[in-house]
Amino acid sequence: MDDDILTTLKILIIGESGVGKSSLLLRFTEDNFDPEQTLTIGVDFKTKRLAIEGNTVKLAIWDTAGQERFRTLTPSYYRDAQGAILVYDVCNYSTFSKLETWLSELETYSTKRNIIKMIVANKIDMDNREVSREEGMHFAKKHKTLFIEASAKTKDGVQSAFEELVQKIIQTPDLWENYGPGSNFHLGNKEHPAQSNCSGYCNLA
Amino acid sequence: MNEEIDESDFYHQDFTTASEWEVFIARLEEIVHQWKVDDLKEEDATNLIIKQGLWNIKQEKLQFVDVEFTLFYYKNTSVQHKSVEDDDDTKKCKHPLENLHDFVMYSESHNNLECPLAEWYGLNEFITLNFSSPNGIHVESQIKLLLSSTQLAINNTNCTIPIFVQIRDKWQNCYLGVYEDEQIRTNFEMIHLRKGPQHCQYLTGLVDLFKTKIMSPVSLPPITVSVQLTFHLIEFGISTWKQDLHDIDRENFDLESICALPFGVTHDPVTNLILKTTWSHLPDHLIVDSENYSDFDPMQAPKWSCYVVMTDQSLCLLSESLSDVLNTVNNNSSVYDILGDFVSSADHNLDNPLDLLTEPKLPTFSTVLKRAARNSLPKSSKGVAPLSEEVLVPILYFLFPDADDENAFPYSSNKEKDNGDNMSSSHTPSMMETECKGFKTCKENSLPWRIAIMFVQTLGMLGGPKAAAHLWFEFVQEMRFRWEKSIPIPGLPSGYPDPRTCLLNQKLQMLNCCIERKRARESRETSTPNVENQTVDPNSSTDDEEFYDCSPDKPDEEDKKRARHSLWNQPVGRLGKFENLKLIKTGDPLYIPITQDCVPKTEDQLEEDTDVLLQLGSDAQGSELRAKMMSASLLSDMESFKAANPGSILEDFIRWYSPRDWIEESELDEWGQKKGYLSSRMLISDNAWIQMWESAKPVPANRQKRLFDDTREAEKVLHFLDSRTLSQISDMLFSIGSHAAICRLYEECEQVSSVLPTAFKSLQRIIKYVEKISRNGKICDRIGGNLIQQIAALELCISQAHSLLYKLNPSRGCEQNIDPFVEKLMNGDEIEIEGTSKSYIGGRLITMFSEAQKLANMIMTEHGGLVDHHPTGNITFPHPHQREFVMRVSAVRPATYSIKSPQFLRTILSKNEFRLVGAFSEDVVFF
Ligand SMILES: Nc1nc2c(ncn2[C@@H]2O[C@H](COP(=O)(O)OP(=O)(O)O)[C@@H](O)[C@H]2O)c(=O)[nH]1
Ligand SMILES: [Mg+2]
Repeated sequence: MDDDILTTLKILIIGESGVGKSSLLLRFTEDNFDPEQTLTIGVDFKTKRLAIEGNTVKLAIWDTAGQERFRTLTPSYYRDAQGAILVYDVCNYSTFSKLETWLSELETYSTKRNIIKMIVANKIDMDNREVSREEGMHFAKKHKTLFIEASAKTKDGVQSAFEELVQKIIQTPDLWENYGPGSNFHLGNKEHPAQSNCSGYCNLA
Repeated sequence: MNEEIDESDFYHQDFTTASEWEVFIARLEEIVHQWKVDDLKEEDATNLIIKQGLWNIKQEKLQFVDVEFTLFYYKNTSVQHKSVEDDDDTKKCKHPLENLHDFVMYSESHNNLECPLAEWYGLNEFITLNFSSPNGIHVESQIKLLLSSTQLAINNTNCTIPIFVQIRDKWQNCYLGVYEDEQIRTNFEMIHLRKGPQHCQYLTGLVDLFKTKIMSPVSLPPITVSVQLTFHLIEFGISTWKQDLHDIDRENFDLESICALPFGVTHDPVTNLILKTTWSHLPDHLIVDSENYSDFDPMQAPKWSCYVVMTDQSLCLLSESLSDVLNTVNNNSSVYDILGDFVSSADHNLDNPLDLLTEPKLPTFSTVLKRAARNSLPKSSKGVAPLSEEVLVPILYFLFPDADDENAFPYSSNKEKDNGDNMSSSHTPSMMETECKGFKTCKENSLPWRIAIMFVQTLGMLGGPKAAAHLWFEFVQEMRFRWEKSIPIPGLPSGYPDPRTCLLNQKLQMLNCCIERKRARESRETSTPNVENQTVDPNSSTDDEEFYDCSPDKPDEEDKKRARHSLWNQPVGRLGKFENLKLIKTGDPLYIPITQDCVPKTEDQLEEDTDVLLQLGSDAQGSELRAKMMSASLLSDMESFKAANPGSILEDFIRWYSPRDWIEESELDEWGQKKGYLSSRMLISDNAWIQMWESAKPVPANRQKRLFDDTREAEKVLHFLDSRTLSQISDMLFSIGSHAAICRLYEECEQVSSVLPTAFKSLQRIIKYVEKISRNGKICDRIGGNLIQQIAALELCISQAHSLLYKLNPSRGCEQNIDPFVEKLMNGDEIEIEGTSKSYIGGRLITMFSEAQKLANMIMTEHGGLVDHHPTGNITFPHPHQREFVMRVSAVRPATYSIKSPQFLRTILSKNEFRLVGAFSEDVVFF
């Protein structure tokens, strides 16, 4: 049954506590929104299969606690992740300001060289917005990451966030292809895109 | 032209009785015709075209009776060919010999046609008929038959291309050929002998021969002569390139000679330098070249050119030493298997003469005394240890320079290193650092790095697997000793195991973490006697007895005075006040507790942890279990918090721990701080946080169960190191060794980059490869072998460049035209030396040739032989390896009223060969 799986990808969700990381994960994996989502302790994960361009990939998505105290613990789980989703809450400017710290954390602890990063601006369903779309996009451009606005509550952008991230990873075989006989997967007969090593473009969702 | 068929005695009308000979001609015609058709189609429809440099070659097999032949068609693609229409219009096509082609510049990369006819005659298009049998064709009648039938076929197909038939033995490269157009027929003839007749040894005699052969009925115009003398330089004397190789010798062992990986080749990769001196198009009556006198003094030649022959057979030391490691990956014996009787695993940790090495406080006096006992291997009846003390001790001092007061090879301290990183230090090129950033290895020149280098050296030069096993054994002994004596391990980045480094580096960092905590514990035990802590046996493995040790809280004077808390409820384990927050219930300052440090883990442990978490499944139940597993540190923090803040409630804890779950209001409470409430998710009844808070007891961190058991972790690391097989050790060290090899290559590339501009490109490719290998876990023969091949190729190129630069520019002065010259030589091409003997390069060649000549003369006179006498009296150059003369003239043949036609003779004279390559034309219309 695992025959048709192209590869298994490890994806991280990081960001300040309360920005909606666990809610985004729940929305993506179970298409559900639980206002009674408990505060994550340490790390947790969920899995999901995703079909991208005729290939099925298995995703192991690691959800992390955002508190300072857990920060010393969670980076150990950054190991070997191919993608990272950095979440901020559009209604809380300080969660956006903290992204810089999260990016450098990622830089320090990720073991893959060109880990793909996606910035998700969550809770766009709320009215008391503090971070504009332009500001978010500008930040993403500056750091050469993907960018999308989303709401775990209304479903907006959630599926696309994960799909675009995975697509980008797949286009960067360096990240996920195993090295050695028998494990060299290629995507059908398609050539890998030439710019596969460049992880930086800004997707304006 | 078809009428010519009638001339043949063999012509028959009846094709059913066609003789073998006719079948042969028909087959030839068929092939040539097919080729012509293909040619007209312009595109090369047939895949049968073989490319050789600039040449296209077609071939077909055919038989004459039972002898097999191959017909080849050669065409130089770089020359624009006259099309068929042109042929009709102009009527007169150019004779293939009407070119002034004399000598081809040698090129390794292109132009190299196996068949020498093109080079000899300067042809751009021709056909050859080669026999397949090994016996060759010697009988004159056979030769004639073949030539005439081939000619017939060519004529029938209206093909004006020279055609050749190979004769005699294959190795002789002898051909007869013919070319014919409307006006002129040219016969190509060849003579090949081991030694030519005496009168044909010099140009003067050869010109006479040429004239005789032409037998022109009228007097000849001057013959145009071109000359090329070729000199070989094989003995380079003091210009021989030698890598600075240290003789590794156990008696006078010099550590410096092995602390960098070896590099380069064992023999000079340049085996032969060939100088060609050329004179072009001289009239024969103005020059003399005879036994007693020659006008051809190489020093005066108007053109000099040279190329070099390089060997790729040299042993490349760097790649070779890596391949030693790769080979050892297949050696599954344990260190103890290999060392056998020298050591038994039972008693190896009983005595530890390495004490000496690691206790720098010992007076030097006893150092000397104890020296003899340094080797950890028992000196019993069991023979000599694989690594002698003279070798082992310096190596151990190299690995552990802190053991020596006068350490010659200190590790750069972490501080220095950090500074260096920021300011792009001068000793490590920053370009390399960024290129190698993705390596999962270790810091340059750190302890694992040095072990890897020593491992490579012991494997390659100091005794092979046995010596390498001995090295590892001593290393592990030292690690154990350091742990037992609580001495920090030098040469490692401080802090927790870094997941971006290799496993060995992480393991050693882990051991250092353990040693650090042990030291902290011990220093507390000795300085402030503490009843509780004294009962802790550091070697005990019973978890229950162990307490985490953080600095004991210094009794806060202020608190002491307060009698607000009952004895059992005294605040303990406070780190400091948290901003100005007050406990909600009591109004006491909110204190940040001293907490347990988090647990260091190496990547293999993390992987185990991750596997456990993964096995719990991704459903809600799994999540809950995971939360329980992850909550040990949360519980520990809650307990510390309660201990430091008697009377605190969950809200107080959350305000410190997860401030985003505390929503403040503007209203102030009785203590003057903002009121607030927990976030909705914290209020969910009976959630994990509430449950845990309720179960947490006020226990300060130093009395809690240790989250990290340094004793157990240290033992795990030591066991890991101790139980490695040679295969596993090589596997761990291969990436580091490759990293070190790349740094070595980089240094060398820098030195030769001016003549080897592609070096950095190749290096970058190798870097990419090593990056993959370093991240991929186990190395396999195929991938490792591939890497080693790439390294060897670059290593050889660099050595070639070194060698050429050393020969042509020994002072490395800034002679600007040398670098491009060497660069071209590196490509294997023949290059003209501008300024000939007067140029700098010319001067270098003269020096090298005359040195070799002096040496040769010395040997000659010693052996009583005669000094080689050269007609020019030149002592700089040896007798030419080869002399080549090309003579051309247009002659009126065979009758006085015939038109002029090209006559040609090339002679190639060398020690073992005498070859005349001639072409003589005559008018076939007016004769
Ligand atoms: N309105 C709204 N609330 C959200 C959204 N995503 C999460 N939340 C709420 O934000 C709070 C924190 O969410 P959670 O997923 O636990 O955040 P985490 O700490 O980043 O994992 C919860 O109360 C969620 O119900 C969203 O898209 N819209
Ligand atoms: Mg969460």
